[in-house]
Amino acid sequence: MLLAQILLNGVLLGGLYGLMALGMALVWGVLNIVNLAHGAFVMLGGYCVYFVFTGFGIDPFAALPIAFLAMFALGYLLQRYVLNLIVRSAQLNTLLITFGLDVVLTYLAQLAFTADFRTINPSYSGANVTIFGLTVPLLRFAAFVAALLFASLLWVILQRTRLGRAIRATAQNLTAARLYGVDPALLYALTFGLGVGLAGAAGGLYGMVSQVTPYMGATLTAKSFVITILGGLENPFGIVLGGIAIGVIEALASIYIGPTFTDAISFGLLVLILIVRPIRSLRTA
Amino acid sequence: MDKLFAVFVAAMSVALSVPAISSAVAADSPKIVTLGASLQLTGADANLARYFRDGYQVAVDRINEQGGIRIGDETYRFALKVLDNQSNINLGVQQYTQLITRDKVDFVLGPYSSNHTLNESSVAEKYRVPMVQGGGSAKQIFDRGYRYIFGTAPPAENYFGSTVEMMTKLVPRVHTLALLTADDAFDVAVRAGTKTLAQELGIDIVVDQVYPELTPNFTSLLALVKSKAPDAILLGGHEAESLNFMREAKSLDVNGRYLTSLTVGVPSHDFRAALGKDAEGVFGMTPWVISPVMRDRWFGDGQQFAQLFQHRFKYEPDYHVASAVADVETFAYALEAAGTLDREKVRDAIAKSDFESVYATIRYQANGQIDIPQIVIQVEKGQVVPIYTDHFLNKPNYPVPAWAKRK
Repeated sequence: MLLAQILLNGVLLGGLYGLMALGMALVWGVLNIVNLAHGAFVMLGGYCVYFVFTGFGIDPFAALPIAFLAMFALGYLLQRYVLNLIVRSAQLNTLLITFGLDVVLTYLAQLAFTADFRTINPSYSGANVTIFGLTVPLLRFAAFVAALLFASLLWVILQRTRLGRAIRATAQNLTAARLYGVDPALLYALTFGLGVGLAGAAGGLYGMVSQVTPYMGATLTAKSFVITILGGLENPFGIVLGGIAIGVIEALASIYIGPTFTDAISFGLLVLILIVRPIRSLRTA
Repeated sequence: MDKLFAVFVAAMSVALSVPAISSAVAADSPKIVTLGASLQLTGADANLARYFRDGYQVAVDRINEQGGIRIGDETYRFALKVLDNQSNINLGVQQYTQLITRDKVDFVLGPYSSNHTLNESSVAEKYRVPMVQGGGSAKQIFDRGYRYIFGTAPPAENYFGSTVEMMTKLVPRVHTLALLTADDAFDVAVRAGTKTLAQELGIDIVVDQVYPELTPNFTSLLALVKSKAPDAILLGGHEAESLNFMREAKSLDVNGRYLTSLTVGVPSHDFRAALGKDAEGVFGMTPWVISPVMRDRWFGDGQQFAQLFQHRFKYEPDYHVASAVADVETFAYALEAAGTLDREKVRDAIAKSDFESVYATIRYQANGQIDIPQIVIQVEKGQVVPIYTDHFLNKPNYPVPAWAKRK
């Protein structure tokens, strides 16, 4: 029973991890930008849901679309007027500028919101049901379902819409996409907006199961990076599966190897994957 | 041209006279004792380190407002120089070196947390500059034979001391406990002390796990704890970890059968506000509660201090703030007693400290650390209620109902 409960906890947490990594994977796959400010966008999304919930009394799940749209707008503007200036330069430059963005956003958040710990704590936050002796925390389950919904939505956008086809075409061959009338600047801004919007929604969910602080982003960026490598860059469900894999591995390692080894195992896995599965093959996975 | 020359001469005269005027003013104004500190004003520890920044500042300002201190025949005022170490220990070490060697501060106050203090106090020791701090409580800090480090936080090893003792006096008595502690210096010390005492008092530790500092995920450990159904759960961690633990414990329906207690968080208002009604019934500890009993030369009493502090900083002070005030006051008393800024003489005067403050009666042991009891506290209706020191102060809400049975 202990093992089953640990597996369940790992799967539910992993779904949320997967949602966090979706935005990073999308941006990485299409714009070839490893967004080191990704965790900062997750953090801002958390604050957005927190303030909508505490300020206006709107249910945090209902606030997720608001956070998504607000963060989409921020991402769109950032890409259009900041990142687009260096999008074609060496990848080191994109790493530097997103790292700088991360620092600026984090410190601005502390100035604006202080370093207080904030929790998104609706009345049902601790609710749970017991099924076959397993305790299912409802909020984590809902966050898991929301992660699957966002992944499905992204899959539909990528596979079934004109925008999605343009995104995929640009990721595969920029020159050919331009010849077919794709405006890369607009498309990049929309894609980055989508990625940041997804990060924002994930931040809202994360704030419901954990807490929101200005400094939560760095760990989440690192975790999203590992999951993106594990899940590949193209299929949203691959990313969610990667998140679940990390969640389960961490949960098992925490009990059977030792809680202090969980990060070592996550990042050890990253090293292993980078050795056996180069990033080029991930693109075509 | 002559006119221009006259204007130039007049301007130069004014410019040259400014330093002379400044010197004259300086001669009449009180002299300055500069206290330096490197604190985690940003980064992961910023939330708790601000208690020390605000505590140091309010003490320095209050002492200055009331005329400063007398050292020998002269009046001195305090100046405070605080640097931000971004929650980075290496940067903290550099900054204490900078404060002492380049900025030439007279004495140093400490950072927050045992991890930082353990490393950064070595700089003070190297340069023989007395450091008084309330952020580091691990005995390891004071067991190195250092002469210049003084601490106003009671030993981490004994944080759960009064709690474990209370557990043997409660009815029903606690027989088994789960002990979860972080892997930082403070919590390693908490774990060592708690295990020893629990074994002495015949309490069986059925879960003993160390988790990584700042972990956001306790779900696996909670599943393990639930499978062992201990009478009590003791969590050693900082405020972020305490918050995550409590939220996840509720969502997975995990309780100590009789009680759950946390080392850090419960006395802090923002912790209780973040948890809301989920904080009800949880036990914690503090060496200090807001009370009019303790008398203080500059603040009157604990109650007046708390009012003044809350009015200025818009939050309720906890024991971190009170200990920070005692740190500054230690220097004030020691400087007056020594009658000089000579660091060696001030160090000796600190070692002989014996005064009442808003925080406690300050007397340092031979190793430099204060030893005051931890008061067991419990959250009732959003407020902190003192429950036990070496005897019961108030009747606890005990056994604490399981999550599902709480209103």
